[in-house]
Amino acid sequence: MTITPAPVSAPPTRRTPLGLARGILTGAVIGSSLAALVVGTVLEHVPLLVGGLAVPIAYGLLVLAAGAPKRAREAAIVPCTALAMIESLRATGGETSDVPVRFDLTVAPDDGPAYRVESTQSVNLVDLPDYKPGGIVVVQYPPHQPWTVKLVKRPTPEWEDRAAAARLDSAPGPVLAGEPTTGGTVGGYITLLALLLGAAGVVFVFRAELFGPDDPTDRPPSAAGPADPGTSSTTIVSAASGTVALGPGQSLFDEGRLRQAVDSLTKGEGKKRQALTVVVQDRLLTVVFTPAGSQAPGFDLDALPYPRIPALVREARTTLGVRSPRTWQLTAESLSGALTLRVGVTGADGAASLEANGDGETVRRVPAR
Amino acid sequence: MGWHGYLALWCGVLGAVALVGYGRSLAGVTRAQRAVRVMGRIERVAEPRHGSSGREGIAVVVTFRDPATGQEFTVTNDGERGDRISTAWTGREIGIRYPPGRPHAYRFTTDPDAGRSGLGWPNFAVFLIYVGLVVVASIDWGWPWALIGFGVPWTLLGATYLPGAVRDTRLRIEGLASGGPVPGRVIAVLKDVTVNEDGDTLTSHTPVVAFTTHDGTAVTAYRTEGLRDPVGSRGRDLTIHYRPDDPGVFTTDLAAEHRSRVGEIAFGVVALLVGVAAAVAGGILIAG
Repeated sequence: MTITPAPVSAPPTRRTPLGLARGILTGAVIGSSLAALVVGTVLEHVPLLVGGLAVPIAYGLLVLAAGAPKRAREAAIVPCTALAMIESLRATGGETSDVPVRFDLTVAPDDGPAYRVESTQSVNLVDLPDYKPGGIVVVQYPPHQPWTVKLVKRPTPEWEDRAAAARLDSAPGPVLAGEPTTGGTVGGYITLLALLLGAAGVVFVFRAELFGPDDPTDRPPSAAGPADPGTSSTTIVSAASGTVALGPGQSLFDEGRLRQAVDSLTKGEGKKRQALTVVVQDRLLTVVFTPAGSQAPGFDLDALPYPRIPALVREARTTLGVRSPRTWQLTAESLSGALTLRVGVTGADGAASLEANGDGETVRRVPAR
Repeated sequence: MGWHGYLALWCGVLGAVALVGYGRSLAGVTRAQRAVRVMGRIERVAEPRHGSSGREGIAVVVTFRDPATGQEFTVTNDGERGDRISTAWTGREIGIRYPPGRPHAYRFTTDPDAGRSGLGWPNFAVFLIYVGLVVVASIDWGWPWALIGFGVPWTLLGATYLPGAVRDTRLRIEGLASGGPVPGRVIAVLKDVTVNEDGDTLTSHTPVVAFTTHDGTAVTAYRTEGLRDPVGSRGRDLTIHYRPDDPGVFTTDLAAEHRSRVGEIAFGVVALLVGVAAAVAGGILIAG
């Protein structure tokens, strides 16, 4: 193998602008992706979740592809092998059988001046007595990075013999450090700042959905009309059924409104009435009560998963392939034994529906065909 | 975009990856296909030091010749050099692969033909497409389709693997029993201490066995199973049964080896039955 002479030069000590830009971009991608995953989960916003997964993967692949030529160039370089003398060594900790040891070495390349270098290597505790100040070891390093020295723990017989017979003199300083340090801390802070800004950017874009209690864009179209704080509604209750019709500008999709409407149908009852069916539309609630003395399988109105209902309707409207959904309807019944919720959506592309259990978890989807 | 849109995207991206991979494999330009694969010869085996680490394998000196230049190289298994060498004797042939023109980037391999086609990634992409289709079918048509999706390929894999495993087991046991036993000895116990992410310290002990075959080959090998009390096993005398055509296949307890292999086959049969049961249950549920 050809051995290229090692130019003894100091390692780079500052981050280049390109490296800094890459750090900023990496921080921003990590921050925004993590925030997208969290915000997407909270809002049940599937495209955001997918984006939160896809963007870092795409970025990682891009970085990998961009670094491929450099890696290929570096991999093609034959490392230099040389003898080195241990000036001093110090174990720097470790709880395992391999402990990190900081070596101060004088490296003596065959065709260049000797130089000093510091390097940290893992050494097995049993092998540690083999390394003593003044001892000769075999090292390897890339010719363009003479400060990246690696101990060869199992040298070939030829180098073993050379090490056994060699006597080296200490080289004067300065000692080359293994890794550049200046600029690393600042770069780290800038990356961290980019990470935070990326996360904050995603939260800022979706602030309305996250923090707005009643955002119009979160509602179905018919409920997103002019805001009307009015509470006008019509309630009709009989022994068999109850109906609540809301006035214009209101929606049962509004937070707490459905629960309020259901309660208005059962207030004044000595005990809770069981329901056979509950049908919810944008401004219309219909409850069919279980007839007194009937064995028909009803359910407790309190058992409905009220907090999950808006999310189920939103999911049905946005993920089942119905573009521009016009109407929606939620039906709850327990005719088969367990409480089941069905959300139907109709739009220009036809109809679609999803089915959820009593906990409001989606168990079946029928997308638009 | 609905579920089917995401499925289409998933299949499209992975399908492209698979197509590119298969195309590269057909053209013979994958890294695995371009790699130079030669056989090296172990020239020297160092006796492991008692208490040292077993992670890097038995220290060996190997020579190999680069077919492109005809130059001979003498190398060792220092650092990250591919598969760990856990059985060695002077004269043993061992696989070596490296990118063309870069013999200094050599890696040892115990199976020189492994991954020769370079189809690992494209096959994995096809597997992910299949998983995506099964998941969406389970959501759209009901969870019994997940049973079918798992059970059918699992059964096919099991049915393909099991006959070969039975044959290999029979050959292994016959091979081990064919040659007469030789005396062996535990010459060292290697120790590796690691700390897991919870801060717990884990210590593993690997006995190193040495024996000489009837034709005078001195074998040194790690023995990770089949020895009682491995921590205190240094100096223990053993009886070694080995395959005459490959001393790397050996055992210290022929009966235990037999039991272990039978257990492996039983496990394979159970796994096959699980696949069949899943497929049948899925079919019945769908039909019902």
